[in-house]
Amino acid sequence: MSEKLKKTFIVTRFDPDKDEVPKTQTYEIEVEPDWKILDALNHIKDTVDPTLSHRWSCRMAVCGSCGMTVNGEPKLTCKDPLSSYGDTIEISPLANFPIVRDLVVELEGFMEKFQEVKPWIMVAKERAVEEGTTRQSPEELADFKGFSMCINCMLCYSACPVVSNEPEFLGPAALALGHRYNQDTRDEGSHVRNAVFRDEGAIFSCSFANECSEVCPKNVNPSGAIQQAKLANVIDWATSFVVKRGEDVS
Amino acid sequence: MSELRPRVDAMKPRAPMPTRTADPRPPDKFPSRGRYPSYLAFGACGAFLLLSAQLLIRGVWALGDGEAAWDAYIVSFGHPVYLAYHVAAFIGLTWFALRLFRLFPATQPNRMGPMKRPADAVLVAGLYGVFFTVLAVGTLFLGGALL
Repeated sequence: MSEKLKKTFIVTRFDPDKDEVPKTQTYEIEVEPDWKILDALNHIKDTVDPTLSHRWSCRMAVCGSCGMTVNGEPKLTCKDPLSSYGDTIEISPLANFPIVRDLVVELEGFMEKFQEVKPWIMVAKERAVEEGTTRQSPEELADFKGFSMCINCMLCYSACPVVSNEPEFLGPAALALGHRYNQDTRDEGSHVRNAVFRDEGAIFSCSFANECSEVCPKNVNPSGAIQQAKLANVIDWATSFVVKRGEDVS
Repeated sequence: MSELRPRVDAMKPRAPMPTRTADPRPPDKFPSRGRYPSYLAFGACGAFLLLSAQLLIRGVWALGDGEAAWDAYIVSFGHPVYLAYHVAAFIGLTWFALRLFRLFPATQPNRMGPMKRPADAVLVAGLYGVFFTVLAVGTLFLGGALL
């Protein structure tokens, strides 16, 4: 059996019934070298302090639930091994989000922003069953597949300096998702989505810090999606004077 | 067997209440940590772009005002303040361009028209090629070698 490591965790605590502002609490525990940050948090909750609250589910970087700030960087805590950190590890909730309790953040604003970009396929007229399935080539799929890999972990919102300064900014994940549907050949609603994109607090609020793409655990590249959407929208706006836009879609 | 049916609203709060939360916090140690300083410097280089564009417009204006105005415009570049500005602008905008070139491939779509996107290295090499060509032509032009 491998030798255990001694680690110190400085964890943000906040109980809305008792605390005015978040504070920190220190835990010194022994951990297995192959543990992830999340394993250590679960160990603390199970054996040291059952009042610690944190969010997690799949433990394999798929569900996007366990995003937290680790030593100042937004991270999925189930992904990085403890051995890649020093003896002292600071864990706090994701920045830019209201804190519900300890390491748990409020998601409502994030979900509302997602709805704004209409992340679903819009068509002018539903296809009849007799018409068969909608065909899409591998090349057409490759145009947007990367942007559809988002797991909604919110690390990009936590890292984005524009989200910090402009709370109404729709944000990297939502805009990348909107762009993903604009790139989908089955979709006919890009002109509807582009109207949202060109509004205040959307793509032109992005100042290309590129932090969202740097911290994204699934390499979705939201920053790239937003820059592509900017160019597509300039072209869409310019051509709208000479080309009639599509029919009403739903 | 029980006749009880599951209650779908069992977890619904008795009265709607706002969630009590602590205020959001900005990213840790913003703006001094990690990649944030280079992002802010990148944004700050916009000032060089703005000022240089104004200088260019002033030049066009001077051209319209005749030879004397143009000569005065050229002579004004010999002023130490202008020289210092141009050195700072050259360094700032070169760094600005190089950072943009590094990020550029990630902003490009999978296909460019009917063509598949070239490799990132090809895109970056192309940008460097254009940058240094423009720099060389500009230097020769301002040095009088092309007139």
